[in-house]
Amino acid sequence: MLYASQLQGRQIWDAWSLPVGECVDVLVGALDRPYPPLRALAVRNGESDMYFISAEQISSLFPSINLKVPQTEITSYEPRGDELWLIDQVLDRQIVDTEGRRVVRVNDLQIMRIRDQFCLTGVDVGAQGLLRRLGLGKPVQAVANAFGRSLPSGVIPWEDVAPLQPDEPLRLQVSRDKITRLPPADIASILNDLDRRTSEALATAFSDETLADTLEESPSDVQVAVLSRLSPGRAADILEEMGPDEAADLLADLSREASTELLALMEDEEAEEVQTLLRYPVDSAGGIMTTEFARVPDHLTIGQTLDYLRRSPEATEDEVMHYVYLVDGQARLQGVISLRDLVMAPRDDPLGTWSDDDPVTVGPHTSQEDVAYLVAKYDLLAVPVVDEQTGELLGIVTVDDAIDAVLPTAWKKRIPRFF
Amino acid sequence: MKLRLQNWLRRIGFYLTIFGPGLITASADNDAPGIATYSMAGSTYGYRFLWLIVVVTVGEVTIQEIAARMGAVTGKGAADLIREQFGVRVTAFSMLCLLLANLGTTVAQFAGIAAGMELLGVTRYVAVPLAALAVGYVVLRGSYERVEKILLVLSLAALSYVVTAFVIRPAWGDVLRHAIVPTFEMDPDYILAVLATIGTTITPWAFVYMQASVADKGVTTEDYRYTRVDVVGGAAWGNVVSAFIVICTAATLYSHGVQVESAEQAALALEPLVGQWARYLFSTGLLGASLLAASVLPLSTTYAICEAFGWERGLDHRTREAPVFYGLYAAIIVLSVLVVLIPGIPLFLMMWLSQSVNAVLLPVLLILVLKIANDGRVMKGWTNSRFQNLFTWGLTGLIGVATIALLITPLLN
Repeated sequence: MLYASQLQGRQIWDAWSLPVGECVDVLVGALDRPYPPLRALAVRNGESDMYFISAEQISSLFPSINLKVPQTEITSYEPRGDELWLIDQVLDRQIVDTEGRRVVRVNDLQIMRIRDQFCLTGVDVGAQGLLRRLGLGKPVQAVANAFGRSLPSGVIPWEDVAPLQPDEPLRLQVSRDKITRLPPADIASILNDLDRRTSEALATAFSDETLADTLEESPSDVQVAVLSRLSPGRAADILEEMGPDEAADLLADLSREASTELLALMEDEEAEEVQTLLRYPVDSAGGIMTTEFARVPDHLTIGQTLDYLRRSPEATEDEVMHYVYLVDGQARLQGVISLRDLVMAPRDDPLGTWSDDDPVTVGPHTSQEDVAYLVAKYDLLAVPVVDEQTGELLGIVTVDDAIDAVLPTAWKKRIPRFF
Repeated sequence: MKLRLQNWLRRIGFYLTIFGPGLITASADNDAPGIATYSMAGSTYGYRFLWLIVVVTVGEVTIQEIAARMGAVTGKGAADLIREQFGVRVTAFSMLCLLLANLGTTVAQFAGIAAGMELLGVTRYVAVPLAALAVGYVVLRGSYERVEKILLVLSLAALSYVVTAFVIRPAWGDVLRHAIVPTFEMDPDYILAVLATIGTTITPWAFVYMQASVADKGVTTEDYRYTRVDVVGGAAWGNVVSAFIVICTAATLYSHGVQVESAEQAALALEPLVGQWARYLFSTGLLGASLLAASVLPLSTTYAICEAFGWERGLDHRTREAPVFYGLYAAIIVLSVLVVLIPGIPLFLMMWLSQSVNAVLLPVLLILVLKIANDGRVMKGWTNSRFQNLFTWGLTGLIGVATIALLITPLLN
């Protein structure tokens, strides 16, 4: 087992055991492989320019770096531009641990001989790596052994990490694909832990859908920062992908010109929904409700309702469907049926026999605290928002948005971002 | 007309979002160790310290500008950059220095809280643990932003020094002369006072805090010029107040031969303005600035150290996920409180002496920062100006000479 930090600054010897120069960096290629192979060592001899020795001419790396050929026969390696410079670009930097779903710092890099090749196998992010670099590895190990304990190893396989360089879009792509597979909440917290340049570069590389989901989970200052780096057209696309309630919250945080411009770029239907929500104060039921929910005409039977829902584009878009709402011809709320009851009831029964005709409702100006109270009191997963005068069903507040008022999510209780 | 008003309001709103770090670090110039140092210097050496205030003002402006620029260009914190550029060993050493300096300053803040509360007749054995609990609660529960504004207003009490100076009408000619003509004495006490003045004005934590907040606010190189106004204005303004503390204590206490050794004596400098209420005004300023710094300092220290070594950090993690972060944070506060509660420990002396230690540790950070701020690969065309380099090296040299002088003068006498 060998570490990149042990190669740094080490003397390189040729086939006749004559010094060639000092190793200043380690270049690996084929980064899409689980164990990227060593391509070359970067060498400097005194004050001379840096040059590269190809991996094929290296016979051993440890305990000393030896070449297979004498100095005169070294053929200089030409970097192709797709290599990763382990010391300059990875060591000591922050990378994403996609297994642990967190941002970690690279304390060292593990290199192993696999068959006839030297390969990058893992990233040391633990205490062992730190102690080794401080020159305290062996003494601390000895103390630990004396107490009958071993130091925990903090090596993550290279497959499970995503290195990030904001200024190298090509390499960012591989990492982006790995990170995109994580749950949006984890992506949001990773973006939050990265430095601003890197997180913005990563966010802009995501697909519209991933970015929209991630932004929904992000604190508002991150949302604004990310969105303001995008072209207006793309920003509008992202807002369309987001839930109308989340999009409205985000737009409320932007300057008036910016939000007007973005609304104009959004598709009419989505823009209208968002504009409706923007009319209400942010801490009222109207401000936190979503306009995406499942509604059906109140005269259907159970079977017809299920068929109606499968065909309804509105219901298809709905992310969570805890309840189905019954409305009359004037869009007035007539009743509620839970999805469970809907599925379990006989097909031919009219909806009315199974639905709750007098559900708990709130008005658009009801305070967020009152909504949370009702949701908790009646054990609801969502509460419908109804216009006080017309009885029209305007939207629903889901339990997660309601309890934000009483139980702020971790993001919301933060002080200046870097804490 | 209405449109113009709207534009104007919007512009103010824009400035307010960018401004802030400068204001916080400016008010931190006159935190408990700051007030103690300037009062001690003014009452012991009269106006003879004013030239040094001018020098450290330029120093603070220069160095805080470097911090803000590094934050805006790289989007990263100081600890992050040091680790990426210099590796583990240098990072470990510099973080140890940062921890020591900030631990000393945190002790000084709690000493300030103790001294302020004792002026109001509350024993420190009650006041300090309560203050520590309050700080921890506010910061961890996240209502910090609101509290910050209250504390900033309280610390405005330091402005009363400016008003006092105009009430007591010092000999302005003398004041001006001493602000321009430097004097230097080869006396250990004097050198300690010089170091404390440098150390309380230009602090490692203010640097780290400034860079982190600029990076966090997402200030880019395009709107960096506004941040520069905030930084330079804040630093200059903080030091104007510092200079007036020296002037007031010199005119009221030095002229009567009172060398400040306690908060009670330091409060006397405000007596010409408010008479017997001086102690209340003094302790208000002391408490506001100390509580503010005690909230920011341990957290920004912990954050920087965890950032450097890649440990989980930030208040959005739970205790079990980020044990080092919360452990270190608690350790800094608990240790500081325990030191202040040692029976008979001289609070006032501790407040300013910790700042001499700060100054001695400062060059470690300055040298690393100079290397980064001149690295074209990192700073992308935003490297230091020649003046900034010369001045920062000069300051590093001054601290070095003063430290050596401090060590050898006892041998010479």
